[in-house]
Amino acid sequence: MISRVADHCFWLGRYLERAESTARLLQVTRALAFDAELPPLHCWRPLVIVSGQYPEFSAKLGGESAGNGEVVQRYMTWAPENPVSIRCSVRAAREGARSIREVIGGDIWQATNELYLWFMGEAAASQYLQDRDEVYREIRRGTQLCLGLVRSTMLHDEPMDFLWLGVLLERIGQTARTLDMHHHIQGAAEGQGPLLQTALWLSLLRACSGFEAFMRRQQGRVSRDAAVSFLLFEARFPRSLRYCVRSALALARRLAAATAKKGTAAALARLEGLDRWLDTQEQAGIPLSVHALLTHVVEEASLACDELQQGLGGEDTVKVAQPEAAQ
Amino acid sequence: MLTETKPPTVTGIPATLLNGYHALDGTYDELVEANGATRQHANMVAHLLEKMTPDTFARCQALAELALAQRGVTFSVYSDERGTEKVMPVCLVPRVIAATEWARLERGLVQRMTALQMFLDDLYGEQRLLAERVIPSELIHGSKQYLPRLRGLRPPGGVRIHIAGIDLIRSPDGVLRVLEDNLRTPSGVSYVIENRLITKRVFPTAMDRIGVRRVDDYPTQLVERLRSVSPVDPERSTIVVLTPGPFNSAYFEHSFLARSMGIELVEASDLFVHGDEVFVRTTAGPRPVHVIYRRTDDAFIDPEFFRPDSMLGVPGLMRAWAAGRVTLANAPGNGVADDKAIYPFVPDIIRFFLGEEPIIEQVPTRVCAKREDRAYVLEHLGEMVVKAVDEAGGYGMLMGPQSTEAERAGFRDRILADPRRYIAQHRIELSTCPTWVAADRRLEPRRIDLRPYIVTGRKPTGEMDTWVLPGGLTRVALRAGSYVVNSSQGGGSKDTWVEAAPA
Repeated sequence: MISRVADHCFWLGRYLERAESTARLLQVTRALAFDAELPPLHCWRPLVIVSGQYPEFSAKLGGESAGNGEVVQRYMTWAPENPVSIRCSVRAAREGARSIREVIGGDIWQATNELYLWFMGEAAASQYLQDRDEVYREIRRGTQLCLGLVRSTMLHDEPMDFLWLGVLLERIGQTARTLDMHHHIQGAAEGQGPLLQTALWLSLLRACSGFEAFMRRQQGRVSRDAAVSFLLFEARFPRSLRYCVRSALALARRLAAATAKKGTAAALARLEGLDRWLDTQEQAGIPLSVHALLTHVVEEASLACDELQQGLGGEDTVKVAQPEAAQ
Repeated sequence: MLTETKPPTVTGIPATLLNGYHALDGTYDELVEANGATRQHANMVAHLLEKMTPDTFARCQALAELALAQRGVTFSVYSDERGTEKVMPVCLVPRVIAATEWARLERGLVQRMTALQMFLDDLYGEQRLLAERVIPSELIHGSKQYLPRLRGLRPPGGVRIHIAGIDLIRSPDGVLRVLEDNLRTPSGVSYVIENRLITKRVFPTAMDRIGVRRVDDYPTQLVERLRSVSPVDPERSTIVVLTPGPFNSAYFEHSFLARSMGIELVEASDLFVHGDEVFVRTTAGPRPVHVIYRRTDDAFIDPEFFRPDSMLGVPGLMRAWAAGRVTLANAPGNGVADDKAIYPFVPDIIRFFLGEEPIIEQVPTRVCAKREDRAYVLEHLGEMVVKAVDEAGGYGMLMGPQSTEAERAGFRDRILADPRRYIAQHRIELSTCPTWVAADRRLEPRRIDLRPYIVTGRKPTGEMDTWVLPGGLTRVALRAGSYVVNSSQGGGSKDTWVEAAPA
């Protein structure tokens, strides 16, 4: 497949996953801010921090605005200057889909285009004012539809592998960041009653779409170690770091075998390293502060992304012996 | 009676769509005759419209427009902000062409293409045509699209015009005439296929009764012909569509064609040339490419050959083509044959190469490079349509009867400064077709043209293999009184129904 197209596939996966994840996080934080006895700043600021945009946010809107749920939501949903806002992700996903439409097929393109047209149109803007929750739900439904169509309509070969690798690497980053965000919130809620602690863990699980799955695994027993361990190591939960790293590894293996790109091989080696590292962490048990662990995971995942991408953009070494047979 | 329209409703009975519709004075209407009677081959469409109320039609029309937006059937407009996309406006009332008329047109189009292919071969070869003074050689050498450096080169596969779009208009006498040829990168065929998808949903019964010829096999017909002119074994050939990228106005179509032919869509940066061979960069390393359906202008094919200062294009591509290692569709250098100043000579070209009379008429044309024609044009600027020979899309054009004094003065200066660059024709009263006017919720006559698409390859026996897509793109000037049908200038399109030949 054409290298430029592979790069577009990878990013389409990332943007779709990012839009879904951002919408989910906003939805959950909003619910948390309504219920819990936490000051708004402690609910909303961590969200901006883990998005990586806190310096830009506070420079433009002032650090205290991070305690204003409306400002944060507007910034994370609509701001064109925020590169990780839902608006930017949806637009970038749609632009990407448009330029590889012949590879992803009509259904996925149309679903992405419809999501974009709806989100940028009157309907979403007025619904945002009247029924906020429904807007987030609709964004999630739209992106989930696209991702579902990826698996059910695309050929399961290289383009889909690149796309799904993008989804998984983005998801690793998102789950790690969400977990880290709760690390911030928990820190702020230190010393408060166990009820609030439980509410926060449940909210974390919801933010990762893992509430029901967790409850089934744990039969209702909620504890810090159980929740953290579930999101880090549960091999059968599709948003746990363990699951995402292993699945990404499998895709990277397949791609490294099929492609002649140094970048793919480097990304594969890095993911293998990360997988082994997670093994040793799991054996050592849940550390008191998971922050360091998460930082390492986020860094490694983002390095793997860089390597993969550099590999795709780079020059081919021309070794022209005999023209190969056409497919 | 002819200038007034009847009030649209009689109390209690909803107005139907054809109430009060009649042809414009002095203009041929594709659906109704001057006396108001429906043309016979279009009876089914008239019945259909008579059964519809403005409400039902408006609903269908809205659904169609929504479907096009959601499917992303858009084009970009150059004069707008970079990257602005618009939905191609479509009017659901189809244009119908009778089977007998189509059969004749088809023969005429094949004849024209055959002669133009021979003309290009001759021009880039022996130049008998110039030796025998069928065309003044200064006209050829004055064409910016003529590439003398290509003389003596035969394109791999032997075909030069793989894809052509010929613009036809119908004059008030009912005669369809060629208005211009597009032999470089004609666009619009994707709208033909998309429009059909929509009318099939809206008018299933009528289509079934009339027996409308299908258009959806265009991609298959095209890809087979592209394969047939590959420099290597057709079955082992890699074919790609080359696009300037997502910001190009016709990007939707490039993607559509690649998708429906099942081949890769590439940008220039995806290709490179090594040792006269063309490769595409893939994740599995370089892969040879044999046929390129390029949707880029000649000037942006190869910076080595055309514009040493340019970064656009694939360096070395022309070398590979000259070495016979890759087929370019269409071949470079075709522009000289669709130069508007060469157009008036096409009937002579047909006679010269085929020894036949042209089957399709043309529009009488004045070539400003000729002194007597120039004098005539300058004297009659207010009645004529003046066109720059190297512009398309409705740009660089003076519509004399609708022009201002200042516009005419501007064109006068330009013609005198560079007469070779201009031609002029008397304005033709283009035929009309009933067209939905949303603001008034009714049908009104609007001017249309027709662009059939012709694709050419080679049969295994070596002879040319030309196929004409039944119908083509009907473009419509949506503004009242307008004669400009280009999508970039407020034009829309209609589905074109070619009546199936009687069994």
